[in-house]
Amino acid sequence: MEIPYTVKPRPDTGLYNAKLGIWLFLASEVMLFGALFSSYVLLRVGAEPGTWSMGLMDIYVGAGNTMVLIASSMFVVLAWAQLKQGNLAGYKKWKWATIACAVLFLMVKWSYEWPSKFAHYDVWLNDAKVLHEKFEKGYHETASHIEPGGAAHDNTDAHDGDVEKYIEGIYTTRFFKESSVTSEDEFKKAWENGTLALSGHINSYEEAQIDFSITRWKADFGVSRADATKVLAKFSEDKADKLLQDGGELYEKTDYDTAKLAEYELGQAGFTVALSVAGYETIKKHPWMWGTKRVNEDIGGKPRVKSLVFGLDETQHHQEITLDVGDIKRLSAYEPKHSTFFGIYYTITGLHALHVFGGILIMLYNMLPVGLALWHKDREQYTNRIETFGLFWHFVDLVWIFLFPILYIL
Amino acid sequence: MSDSHDSSDFIKHLVNLFRIVGGVLVVGTVITVLIDINFPLSLAWAAVIGLSIALVKASFVVAIFMHYKWDKKLIWITWTMVLTFFFFAGMMGLILWSEGNIPKLDSALAISTGTNEIPTIWIILASMLGVVLPAAFTVLTVKLLNQPAPVEAAAPKAGRTAPKKS
Repeated sequence: MEIPYTVKPRPDTGLYNAKLGIWLFLASEVMLFGALFSSYVLLRVGAEPGTWSMGLMDIYVGAGNTMVLIASSMFVVLAWAQLKQGNLAGYKKWKWATIACAVLFLMVKWSYEWPSKFAHYDVWLNDAKVLHEKFEKGYHETASHIEPGGAAHDNTDAHDGDVEKYIEGIYTTRFFKESSVTSEDEFKKAWENGTLALSGHINSYEEAQIDFSITRWKADFGVSRADATKVLAKFSEDKADKLLQDGGELYEKTDYDTAKLAEYELGQAGFTVALSVAGYETIKKHPWMWGTKRVNEDIGGKPRVKSLVFGLDETQHHQEITLDVGDIKRLSAYEPKHSTFFGIYYTITGLHALHVFGGILIMLYNMLPVGLALWHKDREQYTNRIETFGLFWHFVDLVWIFLFPILYIL
Repeated sequence: MSDSHDSSDFIKHLVNLFRIVGGVLVVGTVITVLIDINFPLSLAWAAVIGLSIALVKASFVVAIFMHYKWDKKLIWITWTMVLTFFFFAGMMGLILWSEGNIPKLDSALAISTGTNEIPTIWIILASMLGVVLPAAFTVLTVKLLNQPAPVEAAAPKAGRTAPKKS
């Protein structure tokens, strides 16, 4: 079937069909993003003071990405203007520039903005007293040298209250735009109740080394002796028969993943096993997206992770403190479940990034021989196709124009 | 864009406009960032200034980049979008008034109605707008897509009548 009015405007609508179609599509997109924007504004306004972490956003990265998207939006319209003048080579040049900008935008999001958040943590402690000790230990040196604003301090001897004042500065820039009666009250409350979070990176941690032994094999489990031996042989080839008969130690001081895999597979074959923590090993890594459960997991009565070495934000040389897992009430990376703010942040930026990704696919299609075939068949129709794509692309840019102040400034 | 605007000179004029708009967008972004860094603003002011600049930038994108300025035939779609905007704004306004920390209605309206609660009729009207808008959008789409174009409708008629005459 041939689609009518791909080149000439339809007399009654005054537009060629594809253009009308893309505008109707954009109208539905306005409703989609409009709903999300409204949700954001309502959640933002309705949030309890001291819970909206907008101060964590890096405005320079946001502004840089805005520029990249503006450039791509201009390039795509210049590409269309070249086509309109019948210049295919000029069109290709601008179109590749558009694709490059779009890819750059996604790369900044995908390999810098989001991942850096996944390795960045907030830790809340059970006890206010412990929290104050940790603050004192972590921020004492920085607070005695630098005012929250960044200006150097005159007196090198820090006195009590300096740390508290310094933390208040961090708290105010993170949750409130400026110091006010509300921000002071909220900080005082949070300080006294110990509900403030320690923010930073996990630099290293002590993870359990597990002793793994087989207690017995249940003959009535429903797995034949030969099959059970076969499963066991995967883990211990030479001792399989003996272990099945008498039980005994399978692994000594193994790591968590090995132990858990063996526990599962042997459990399926009718073995009862016992895991116990033999000791802890320090691992230097910046783990991604850990939660409280991940570090607290119980292995034979002991936690999977014993302690974390935590490099604090807003300190000189990322001052390190050691946190005992027993003191931790909640640990969360800056991932969607961290808070309402990050939940809606990832939803909106993720949906927008999907649009950018879709746009890149369409642009690539139009640039490949299969897409360019239309240019050789019907130049005007191809030009119109590029124009409708341009309309979509400008809309994606438009959404970002509004997202930028909302996410990075408000 | 209509055919009268397809001349080479006009395209050259457009390209200049596109460059200017690109410049405007960059300047707008820079101003937003500079204001945020240099002036400690309250949330309300940051919202007003930030969103106003965004609105100006958006208008330029729609008018020039999307050459809406020359697509006067899109008037029905424009109205749908404008109504959508009012719908979202109205909904947000109502919820902010009843749930948020924005002062309840006072002054003239409160005195005239003797209460500072939101009149029920507003909520009913807003909800109706919520039904009317998607319905209008659907009707518009179906109507535009189903309507046979006058020219096309004329052609088969001539074809049908032709054999009778012969």
